[in-house]
Amino acid sequence: MLTVSTDPAHSLGDAFRATLTAEPTRIPTRRGTLLAAEIAAVPALGRWSGDHRRALREIAARGTYLDEQDVERFLDLALPGADELMAWLEIDRLARSMGKNAQCDEVVVDAAPTAHTLRLLAMPEALRQLAGVLDRMQERHRLMAERFGGAWRPDDSDALIASLETQGREIEERLRDPQRSALFWVMLPEALSLAETLDALARLDEAGLPVREVIVNRVAGEGRGRDDQWRAEAAVIREIEEKLGDRGLRFLPEEEKEPRGKEALRRIARHLRAPARTLITPYPLLSQPPPLHRERRGMKKHPSKASPTNFSLFSRRTGGRLGEEGRGDEGPAWLDDLAPPTLRLLFFGGKGGVGKTTCAAAAALALAGLRPEARILLLSTDPAHSVADVLEVPLGDDERAVPGAPSGLRARELDSGRAFAAWRERHGQEVGEAVEAFASGQGGGVGDLLDLTPPGLDELIALATLLDAVEGDFDLVIVDTAPTGHALRLLEMPELALSWDHYLLSLLLKYREAVGLGELAAELVELSRSLKRLDALLRDPERARFVAVTRAAELPRRETVRLLEALRKLAIAVPAVIVNAVSPGHAGRLAFGRCDIIKAPAVYPPPRGVRRLAKWAETWELTWKQAAQ
Amino acid sequence: MIIIDSLLVGGIRFVLDKVASAVDSEMNDEGSLKEELMAAQMRLELGEMSEEDFVVLERDILARLREIRDAQRGGSAGAVSLGGGFEVDVTFRGDENE
Repeated sequence: MLTVSTDPAHSLGDAFRATLTAEPTRIPTRRGTLLAAEIAAVPALGRWSGDHRRALREIAARGTYLDEQDVERFLDLALPGADELMAWLEIDRLARSMGKNAQCDEVVVDAAPTAHTLRLLAMPEALRQLAGVLDRMQERHRLMAERFGGAWRPDDSDALIASLETQGREIEERLRDPQRSALFWVMLPEALSLAETLDALARLDEAGLPVREVIVNRVAGEGRGRDDQWRAEAAVIREIEEKLGDRGLRFLPEEEKEPRGKEALRRIARHLRAPARTLITPYPLLSQPPPLHRERRGMKKHPSKASPTNFSLFSRRTGGRLGEEGRGDEGPAWLDDLAPPTLRLLFFGGKGGVGKTTCAAAAALALAGLRPEARILLLSTDPAHSVADVLEVPLGDDERAVPGAPSGLRARELDSGRAFAAWRERHGQEVGEAVEAFASGQGGGVGDLLDLTPPGLDELIALATLLDAVEGDFDLVIVDTAPTGHALRLLEMPELALSWDHYLLSLLLKYREAVGLGELAAELVELSRSLKRLDALLRDPERARFVAVTRAAELPRRETVRLLEALRKLAIAVPAVIVNAVSPGHAGRLAFGRCDIIKAPAVYPPPRGVRRLAKWAETWELTWKQAAQ
Repeated sequence: MIIIDSLLVGGIRFVLDKVASAVDSEMNDEGSLKEELMAAQMRLELGEMSEEDFVVLERDILARLREIRDAQRGGSAGAVSLGGGFEVDVTFRGDENE
């Protein structure tokens, strides 16, 4: 049995209380053999590319005019979306590397949060498409060989193409066969989690990938936690039963202590072995809905009819609360320090499920209230968008006003598929022409590369959008990022894109006699300049900052520590960490290096809608401030 | 006769072709200078050329482009003045008598 984490922000080792690497580590168990690994995509790609270097060189040499030097440089470029690209190839490699004695019967994959799981599941098909393109690039060579050599013998490059095609096909088949693979969807008994789950399940249904069970994790149940907490939870559970009742459904109870290490995990395993569709903690009979639900029905307001929140609540003069004396430093007036007027980009990021979107939205509303003359954009770059759900307003892939919010605020949820299609529409032809110019012959194929949806598309489109937004009208862009792993991939994008841009520039220069410079050169120069500007902006603490959101639990805390370290290496400033969903009287002090600590209190049900989010932001407390230097 | 005709026609065509290609190569010069400038911008981005060297090169290229433009304008302006500066003396018999 092999457990593999494909989330670039691995937590598997934390859960096992073990140090894991990219090679399988034995987890001692009473019976059987358990191994675990955390995939490192970039070294894996380097290794794969090295192993197949000869074949790749052959294909490039035959399909293009590029010389050996050009091909080497190309093969050394970092790839966006390397995590999804390498995941399956690595899983296969690890499963086979167990050696002669150990048999790997089963692989359990801990995947990245929603959006990138969906990308991961689309990868086998992408591998096959890539094999197809490389095959076409080889076609001319085969025809020539036959014409002159009389017969064509498959070589390294053909072997590589065949293996990509086979791997893609086998994985695809395995995924679709309910006998051989099972997809478990894990969610929380929270409204935003349900919304995201429903979207994801719809897409999986469309793709024909069966989901064996939906596991609702950390169900507190009646009598545990506060009254308002379990009532809110009960309301969501009712909705889960309603909407997902026809699927395999399982409820797991919240543990007293965060489960880490084998004992705790075994307890959970026992719950998982029980037959599905059991509600572990008994709830009041569903025929009598919890009182809160009935009350809310009566009071329910249609969002578009909500009166605009009185944003003078946030005026600095009153220190954040109208009519309440002696509140001192509370309220979001200190947000001004977090986000000075020079700030252009403010990122909110962290582990999946901690409340990034809720915090980003609340902060956006607070800042828009504090600065009515500023143009502020709340931008979601997580393909599994939650901004519309948390604000309770309809949003799309354009900058829209938010009903009920200050007039300077806009919000947008990126649609990378659509943006890619539009980009191809606009630039496809020039790029296609340039690419064809490098392609040697009618075998074609090189141009087909443009038809492939690139891995890492989400990060590429997010990067392009950030470039536009920063050079455009907005004074401040607040970015709700994808969870940790892919947020970091996004922040690594400017450098990656620059290396590709410069590679293409140098190719154009080298081959300008044959290919000419044209429009493409001008665009590449412009892009290089924009990327350098963005890079400088990201490293300037007065113009770009990253706020990490976490919860007071061990796995999120550990992930946050690693996130902060990664941001430090990228030279991106982190002024504060928000500890979300803190219960009152929560003891213990969390410290994260030199960052301010902001506590955002737990509210049940979690705040949604413009009014409630704005009020909630008021209750945030700055509990630890770094002394000014 | 026919030979002379065809030589004449051929000659004129030859001259016309030359003029055409002269015009073309001027445009090509302009085009190739612009490409030079673009190539220099590319090298600057790649760090293959220093800021100072680029500024000097850019200045040179822009100067040459200006020369070409001026030459084009000067030539055609001459053509215009050849036509327009042509003065026609008109006298009427009648005027002389009065």
